[in-house]
Amino acid sequence: MTTGLVTLKINGREVTVREGTLILDAAKEAGFDIPTFCYQANLSGLGSCRMCLVEIEGQRKLQPSCITPVMPDMNVFTETDTVKMTRSAMLEFLLSNHPLDCPVCDKGGECELQDLVYKHGPRKGRFAEDKVRHHDKDYILSPVIVKNANRCVQCMRCVRVCKEVVGRGVLGAVGRGVHQEETSFLRTRLDCDHCGMCIEVCPVGSFMRLPYRYRARPWDLVSARSVCGYCATGCRLTLERRGDTVVRAIANPEDGFNRKLLCARGRFGYDVMNSEERIKTPLVKERDGSFRPVSWDRALELMKEAILRAGPERAAGVASATLTNEELYLFQKFMRKVVGTANMDSTSRWSAESSLKFMEAAGIRGGGTSVYQCAESDVVVVLGGQLSEENPVTDYILRYINGARRNTLVIASPRGMKLDSSAQLSVRTVPATTGAFIAALLKALVEKKEVSMEGMEAVKGLTVEELSGVCGVNADDIRWIAARLLTAGSVGVLAGTDMLRYDDGAEELALLVRLLENTVRDVRVLPLLDRANQRGAWDMGVHPYLEPGYRPAQRRGHDVHGIVELADSGGLGFLYLLGEDVLGLYPDRAGVERALSRVGFLVVQDSFMTGSAPMANLVLPMAMYGEKHGTMTNQEGRVQRMEAVRRPEGEVRTPLETIGRAGNLIEKDFPVVRPGDVWKEIQKQVPGYGEVRGMEAFKGASADQVAELKPSFSYAVPERAEGEFWLLTGNHLFHGARLSQHSGILRELLGGCVVEIGSTAAQRLGVGEGDMVEVEARGYRERLPVRIREGTPDGVAFMPENFDGKDANRFFDKDRVVSTVRIRPYKKQGE
Amino acid sequence: MEKVLLKNLGREGAHTVDSYLSGGGYEALRKALGMEPEDIIQMVKDSGLRGRGGAGFPTGLKWSFIPKDAPEKYLCCNADEGEPGTFKDRGIMEYDPHLLLEGMAIASYAIGAHKAYIYIRGEFLFAARRLQEAILEAYEKGFLGENILGTGFSLDIYVHRGFGAYICGEETALLESIEGYRGQPRKKPPFPALSGLYGKPTVINNVETLACLPAIVNRGAEWFASIGPEKSPGPKIFGVSGHVERPGLYELPMGTPLREIVYEHAGGIREGRRLKAVIPGGVSAPLLTESELHTPMDFDSLAKIGSMLGSGGVIVMDETTCMVKTAYIIMRFFSHESCGKCTPCREGTTWLKKIVERIEHGRGVPGDVELLESLCDNIFGRTFCPLGDGAVMALRGVLKNFREEFQYHIEHKRCMV
Repeated sequence: MTTGLVTLKINGREVTVREGTLILDAAKEAGFDIPTFCYQANLSGLGSCRMCLVEIEGQRKLQPSCITPVMPDMNVFTETDTVKMTRSAMLEFLLSNHPLDCPVCDKGGECELQDLVYKHGPRKGRFAEDKVRHHDKDYILSPVIVKNANRCVQCMRCVRVCKEVVGRGVLGAVGRGVHQEETSFLRTRLDCDHCGMCIEVCPVGSFMRLPYRYRARPWDLVSARSVCGYCATGCRLTLERRGDTVVRAIANPEDGFNRKLLCARGRFGYDVMNSEERIKTPLVKERDGSFRPVSWDRALELMKEAILRAGPERAAGVASATLTNEELYLFQKFMRKVVGTANMDSTSRWSAESSLKFMEAAGIRGGGTSVYQCAESDVVVVLGGQLSEENPVTDYILRYINGARRNTLVIASPRGMKLDSSAQLSVRTVPATTGAFIAALLKALVEKKEVSMEGMEAVKGLTVEELSGVCGVNADDIRWIAARLLTAGSVGVLAGTDMLRYDDGAEELALLVRLLENTVRDVRVLPLLDRANQRGAWDMGVHPYLEPGYRPAQRRGHDVHGIVELADSGGLGFLYLLGEDVLGLYPDRAGVERALSRVGFLVVQDSFMTGSAPMANLVLPMAMYGEKHGTMTNQEGRVQRMEAVRRPEGEVRTPLETIGRAGNLIEKDFPVVRPGDVWKEIQKQVPGYGEVRGMEAFKGASADQVAELKPSFSYAVPERAEGEFWLLTGNHLFHGARLSQHSGILRELLGGCVVEIGSTAAQRLGVGEGDMVEVEARGYRERLPVRIREGTPDGVAFMPENFDGKDANRFFDKDRVVSTVRIRPYKKQGE
Repeated sequence: MEKVLLKNLGREGAHTVDSYLSGGGYEALRKALGMEPEDIIQMVKDSGLRGRGGAGFPTGLKWSFIPKDAPEKYLCCNADEGEPGTFKDRGIMEYDPHLLLEGMAIASYAIGAHKAYIYIRGEFLFAARRLQEAILEAYEKGFLGENILGTGFSLDIYVHRGFGAYICGEETALLESIEGYRGQPRKKPPFPALSGLYGKPTVINNVETLACLPAIVNRGAEWFASIGPEKSPGPKIFGVSGHVERPGLYELPMGTPLREIVYEHAGGIREGRRLKAVIPGGVSAPLLTESELHTPMDFDSLAKIGSMLGSGGVIVMDETTCMVKTAYIIMRFFSHESCGKCTPCREGTTWLKKIVERIEHGRGVPGDVELLESLCDNIFGRTFCPLGDGAVMALRGVLKNFREEFQYHIEHKRCMV
């Protein structure tokens, strides 16, 4: 890293900047705005649009300020007649073949070409020739991308962002000169991430959103700053509506750590708000099993009666980790103070013990790690999960930072992922053996360097080779990683949710982090969470063992496993599922179905009829993101505020209002509150939140210690019969959590549920991409199309957990470490 | 003058290694491999050899920019020869391929490259085959491959055929093309000497430049420096085309006056007509008229009068030539070959072409010439690479000398001649 400073003059004004700064940025610092098209922060420099040409004393020609770094004592001029004439000239050139069809162009009103012509352009057109036309009709590149090459200014931002940030590289340029066209191969449909980054970076109306096409003008739109609800990367986005319909989600580069970055879910999943399938009114179940609409007053009265009837010991609640901090805080307060129980959880998928260990290992201490800090470390290690699909924008950030800095990226995970191609080393671990892998790493580290540290004595008795045999990673690779770790100046660790699901490796990770803190010192740990506010849910104390701010609960309650068991034994009189679909997600679907049917009174509050909802005695409608104010805490610990873009429709209410009214009905001094009131209470109750001001603040809650860590250091390969597959589950690129299946756009992108296997497995089974296979286990069979995932080894299969009707949890057994399935090619009869 | 570069031009069978060896071929390589690389670089510096591709950059100086300690380096021979009016490299490659290979081996040894590419214009299929045959012969005789002539020096040479894009003659676009990307120029800095082919230090030299090396090594720097003017010495191939009696390749000392080339060597204007204009160095070079024929054909003399030596492709036009049509043909070429990367060249050359095309076809309107001049000002000095500048220089050259023909075309909707 260069740390030297350079002093130069820009238009006579002296400015001192870091060595290597581009003239463009130095000028901005000096207060001079230089217009650009091809320049885009974080993309490789191109210098081709020639808008940013400036004069430099002593240089014969004008120089592109977007690719020219400053030099000491440089004398730069950005506002001379020559420079101004050049800007006007370049715009005149760009307009020469531009169709000037602004009245029918979606970009009109927020077009960089319009803006720059207005500011710098010629006032009169001199071009009187025939224009070049690439095509007559706009063509569709994907269910979300539509293209008009005639409007293109050839800045190549789309091509570069696709390759350097998204990592797909499905766009390129064909043709030469004025016939150059940025498009897909032969203009065919794209098989890509459909993230729409090409649209976001396009300065003109060349790449456009298909779902937004001809829907609105920018000046018709009412916008609100929100936070994406589809994963815990927690991208900030701006939701925009015309009338009551939300028509667009955009990344606002001025606002939010993700700048222009959003993935397909964030950019196109907004239409879930407009879905016709939403629950619009409270529903009560009749004796014949059908649902009848009731008033909120009646619904809350029924809820109150059920709570009082059940009593504290026989009541429980599970709230979704996608709700706001305010909602989650009030939920636990309601459960603890009004219902009188600590039987609660913020997940249906893992145990309270498992989450405690993970919190301890993955960064609750210290209150948060910026994803950028983590990604910029000398060595970055990704543990478990499928980062590229579960947290796509984290993947983008890692990719472009790795591309620019060439730091060492190491991935250890059971499944192949897109980020593999950026990694110096990517190894495949056997599912649920992250612990063995990290233990091997620990052993390799102490082989190389004598470390005396508590907990390390046990490691000395292990051998790298033995552990390598368990986790399936080559011993040489483990030693290579260890060597890299020891010579690094800083280490970033990203820990995936596999560790939570399988209660696997968190203790070892905590030990590794401590060891690295003693040697490397600069260690940054970032949990990779799949629910948008999982961290907030823990911070707020929606946990059977922890109260807000990680205070140990005075009386521990049951976690989700305990709650399901209690229900199954007939010991649960009241269960409140707030935005959480236990039936759809809990491993062992049959078991949980039986348990839920034995609950005295089941209340489901959700936006859609989830799997659990039809089993409920009372169904309550719920407002979703974009319809409520509040704060969310992402996986970094970054607390971000979100605003409502519109009011919930009809009888739909926010959880905050529901809980407040229900609580008030039971206890007179439980107040009906607004988000701001709860926020003030959170600021008092949760350490770290007191300092949060404005739209965003970094560093959420922290705690010294939430769990005692004593790794057992005994490992075994999870059972699997010959030819079977270990089945993994999680979020899919186009589906995060349960909501997204109600987004028409996202549904179109994926089509439906799939099963993913590696190419060797596909070859063994004799199936290709899209062929039908039958997945079978525990007496269930499901026919699904195959998706081939490069890099996933034979014996590992993945099924997204997000599809009602194709529920992956039928195949899981909560008593097994990793469930296995049989997969065979499915042929229709007669074939 | 004794011919060095074209001595075998037109000689049957000269392209074989045996024929080349019988004329003392590969002796220079043997000699060079016995020298220290730095001494060869110094020798080339002392010879005053300047790049024959068009820019005239001192070859020895270019080589000296290559970092000595870099583990991997490349030599690329620019054989793209796409400039209209230029066909000199083709003559060398077709009749004396070993001369080029020997030059490349010497250059590679001097800069420490063990892999060298010949990027050859796609249309030169015959030359590419000849080169490939010559390379195989050279491997067989031990002039290429592992441990050349027992000295421990190894070199592999690959022929890479282009696909018909003029821009690939621009050195960084050439590198992109070899790497398998679209042929578009790269930003400089970093210059290829530091980060070139596959990001490694790379020297890119023209065919004729490399072909000069065996003679320099054999006869010494002083001999080379004594030919032609002090600042740009050596033999030079001039390719004369157009309305002359004897079009063809002529190897003459650098600095030979243009008049001598046209009237003595090329036999004067055909059918006894009068000369109207000469393009001295490929179409990018602004044209000259009768009054400038005394100019010595070397880098500095032509630069002084606002034109350039370029590739030495001399295009002669007689009095029957319509200069609007000439301008149209030239602009059509540049517009067609603009790679599309930067705005002024992509949009500007096409716009210029369309206006000139209109004028040529009798659809010109008053103000067109002024518009052309204004657009030239807007393009010149603002493009990413020299292609756009070349287009402007060519058009400005025509407009400067024959403005009245354009006006005539606009007014009378027909040619003046």
